[in-house]
Amino acid sequence: MQEKMIAWRCKRCGKVMYPKHERCLNCKNTEFDDISLGDECNLITFTKLYALPIGIEISPLTLGLVEFNNKVRAMGQIMTDDPKPCMKLHPVWGKLRTIEKKEVYGFKFEPIVLE
Amino acid sequence: MMRDVAIIGCSMTKFGRLDGKDLMEILVEASLKAIDDAGVSECDFDSVYVGNMLAGELSHQSAIASALVDRINLIPASAERIENGPASGGSAVKNGFLAVASGASDMVLVAGGEKMTGVDTSTISDLMSTLNHPDAEYVHGATMPAMAALFTRLYMERYSLTERHLAMVAVKNHANGMKNPYAALHKLCTVEDAMTSAMVSDPLRLYHCCPISDGAAAVVLCPAEKAKEFTTKPVKILGFGHATDTHTLQEREDPIILKSVKIAAERAFKMAKLNPRDMDVAELHDAFAILEIAESEDIGFFKKGEGQLALEKGVTAIDGELPINPSGGLKSKGHPVGATGVAQIVELVWQLRGEAGQRQVKDPERALACNFGGFGNNTIIHILERGD
Repeated sequence: MQEKMIAWRCKRCGKVMYPKHERCLNCKNTEFDDISLGDECNLITFTKLYALPIGIEISPLTLGLVEFNNKVRAMGQIMTDDPKPCMKLHPVWGKLRTIEKKEVYGFKFEPIVLE
Repeated sequence: MMRDVAIIGCSMTKFGRLDGKDLMEILVEASLKAIDDAGVSECDFDSVYVGNMLAGELSHQSAIASALVDRINLIPASAERIENGPASGGSAVKNGFLAVASGASDMVLVAGGEKMTGVDTSTISDLMSTLNHPDAEYVHGATMPAMAALFTRLYMERYSLTERHLAMVAVKNHANGMKNPYAALHKLCTVEDAMTSAMVSDPLRLYHCCPISDGAAAVVLCPAEKAKEFTTKPVKILGFGHATDTHTLQEREDPIILKSVKIAAERAFKMAKLNPRDMDVAELHDAFAILEIAESEDIGFFKKGEGQLALEKGVTAIDGELPINPSGGLKSKGHPVGATGVAQIVELVWQLRGEAGQRQVKDPERALACNFGGFGNNTIIHILERGD
């Protein structure tokens, strides 16, 4: 289990990337620091997928693109059937799907419930 | 110094469910008909390029270009398969163009083909999804319709694009496909049909997505200066543009700008010394309805966010100012992935020769084809001109 979602910050120009690249997308430098993406992100677009991919049983599967405070975006499963534009989410570790009979784990995004 | 390149022959199989014919049979059929169309049955070929994405996975066959030259005796021509996802066909045409333009080859066959039916839809969908980023997209369950749906929703929020506009792309392309004997679907659809069809990945419904198809297409290329020896109606390839973008959708500065399309178009227009206003007809890669609209903007035909206005006004209809997808597009013609980029060129050659039958656009002189790979991370654009 991974505790935090990690992104990669270029040691030369400071660009933060997710996923990882071997050369910086901005300056082509090859050295990076691991940084945490943080605990809160916003949903910027989403879909409820009815034609399910192999290895996923949740129907419909809600998928979305989220944006963190540092403007880095990620794709992931959104843990609600009622996604709303700009809703606040936080990453949680869990099972994503089965690929060739192996269970694959990673981060999904759960709505933050305001108390 | 590059040589001018001409297309002297072309052909395609019918697209759709081709029961009883395997991948090699359809590649052979399209290739022989193209060679016959060019009138070069007795000529030697220097090189062969075969666009294909999934022969190993779906047909249990590798090195299909070697197999094709053997079946139709083009030995000892050089032969290679070109795999570039859904842009494999366009990549194969580009390689054929470069072989002639560079002076390395005087007679080139470019074929593209895919056999996709007869396998369950979830398997095809999964294989197509593997072109997404493995760790950042595929693993989460991102299929191609899901990618297109995320993109479509962003578009709808930014611009005055509605589900009705997506339906209108389907209505136009189904109507065009009715006039194309090679199209997979011969069925008119109404806006209501499209807007009430099954939800695939909201807001995308069944009629906003292209059908799974089999099919093959082929063209014969030679130096333009020699084309008149073989045909009275050569079509010149004036230029191409090919460009990439980030693998993931999320990393694009503005996810609804198709940078690979923009740059490929800029490069193609620069090479052809033309601009978007010079085009009379276009075949765009409408694997999903939104893509016809987005490509028409990022190529430069219409301002960003105004592609749907052109669609509404009938500008992109067969009898409009800039007909788009007179063939019926991927939506109605079908999308056998390796064949698509070659078949777009075949349609435009027919249009430029005035041989497109009921779907003939009025007297076109120049045409553009856009073959879109990945989810927008690898695009090839060709510009053609009537040679007479």
